[in-house]
Amino acid sequence: MAELVQLFALYGVIEEYRALDEYPAEQFTEVYLFQFQKLTSARVAKWNTDEKSFFGGQLHVCYAPEYETVEETRQKLQDRRRYVNRASQNTAKQQDRQLEESTESSSTDTRTAAAPEIQKGFEKARMENVNSDDMGFSVLPLTPVEDVSYRLHGFEQPLQLQWTTDTTLPTEDKMGSLHNAIPPVTETSKQCASSASYKKERDLIERQKNLSPSVRFMPRTTHLESRKRKLEGQAFFLNEAAETETLIGPKLPELPKVDMEDHSLNVTTNLIRQTMSKVTSVPEIKPVQVKTPTAKPRRRI
Amino acid sequence: MAGKSRFSASDRFEYLQGLVTEFQDTDSEEAKEQVLANLANFAYDPSNMEALRLLQVTELFLDMLTEENENFVEFGIGGLCNLSMERESRDQILQSGGVPLVISCLSSNRDETVLSAITTLMNLTTAASRTETTDGAVVQCMLRFSLTQNPRLRNLASVFLEDYCTQQQVDRAREEMQGQSQSAVGIPLPKD
Repeated sequence: MAELVQLFALYGVIEEYRALDEYPAEQFTEVYLFQFQKLTSARVAKWNTDEKSFFGGQLHVCYAPEYETVEETRQKLQDRRRYVNRASQNTAKQQDRQLEESTESSSTDTRTAAAPEIQKGFEKARMENVNSDDMGFSVLPLTPVEDVSYRLHGFEQPLQLQWTTDTTLPTEDKMGSLHNAIPPVTETSKQCASSASYKKERDLIERQKNLSPSVRFMPRTTHLESRKRKLEGQAFFLNEAAETETLIGPKLPELPKVDMEDHSLNVTTNLIRQTMSKVTSVPEIKPVQVKTPTAKPRRRI
Repeated sequence: MAGKSRFSASDRFEYLQGLVTEFQDTDSEEAKEQVLANLANFAYDPSNMEALRLLQVTELFLDMLTEENENFVEFGIGGLCNLSMERESRDQILQSGGVPLVISCLSSNRDETVLSAITTLMNLTTAASRTETTDGAVVQCMLRFSLTQNPRLRNLASVFLEDYCTQQQVDRAREEMQGQSQSAVGIPLPKD
């Protein structure tokens, strides 16, 4: 027990700790509750001790929101809300700075590094961040859970507020090892009842980003423009959709047609050409004139 | 834990966009669940919230609340709970008429769904939305939750009643409850 306290004391000030006899636990498992002064300490402690071996056994560490008081819950929510709003302001400022500094090409390397493979049981792409001066509601990478002997319960201050403000390990299991939590589902060709809004938005943004995804909905103006480009022989993305879809709605205003044979278009050009020919013709005469004076001998006084 | 500079805003956006695309394109229910869970998780991190907003993921989460698949609902409301902590995302949810959908989650079988819904309702309560989020039926529901054995439910409901409802609202709800039997009108408790 003392060793356990020593271990957790490394992560922050502990307000209280006790053994939990009433907690449902497996055989040969002892359960303890540790209450930290700060929520951030609890998060770090859990991250560092969960699934770690301990004197021949293994620790199982999870949050215990059921041991919170009403006031603690209230405080936790307020702190979280404050942190999020402060952090998102910081992110906005950072992004402004990033837009000024970076170019598009610099993101290619990080993209391959972050290559998303939605793997079952583990979240590889880590959106980790840390603000050492902030409260540190940083996103900790999720870990798969195993069944073992020592089961340690801690943390009056529930940590990673994933779904709700109250999180226990089973929830994280679902996030991490989702395929275990869900019974086998029969394949149904169930279309997601997706509203046009987020699809539409997505397509517009994709266009800006110059990707060529499977586009289901395309704004009409884009459609018409791509058709025009095709006619002029410069078709690029949005090809497939352009061929098959029929257009509905008002047409784009027609650009005024210009008669390329009209001489009035060449007035300025001709003026420039004339001036250029005048300017370039003059130096040819000069060298002939210059030669004769140098042929005269110089007289010595 | 790495610093924010590891992923630029455009990297995050593209990655999240990929997830949304995958969610829409795949036919596998299990894959959808996985992606939805990931999106809801990512919504926890404030640096992702703007991208998720631009990608209209709030709409996606809201759509999930009327699905039959209980996992879809749980992850959807979980994502909303995370996102609604932030002001602009909160406003987006409100503008999309999210309040009635969130309220409907209060009657779910699942603990996690109900807990997320209560927290989300708290976040969504503004001067303008107050009458909706603290509707009589909601207050009654919270009163009942505040009397249950489940400590998490009890705590959250208590915070809701104490911080988001007036004393009159609570008194009125209590009177109405005493005038009704438990099995009559109202939002039932979740199964534990």
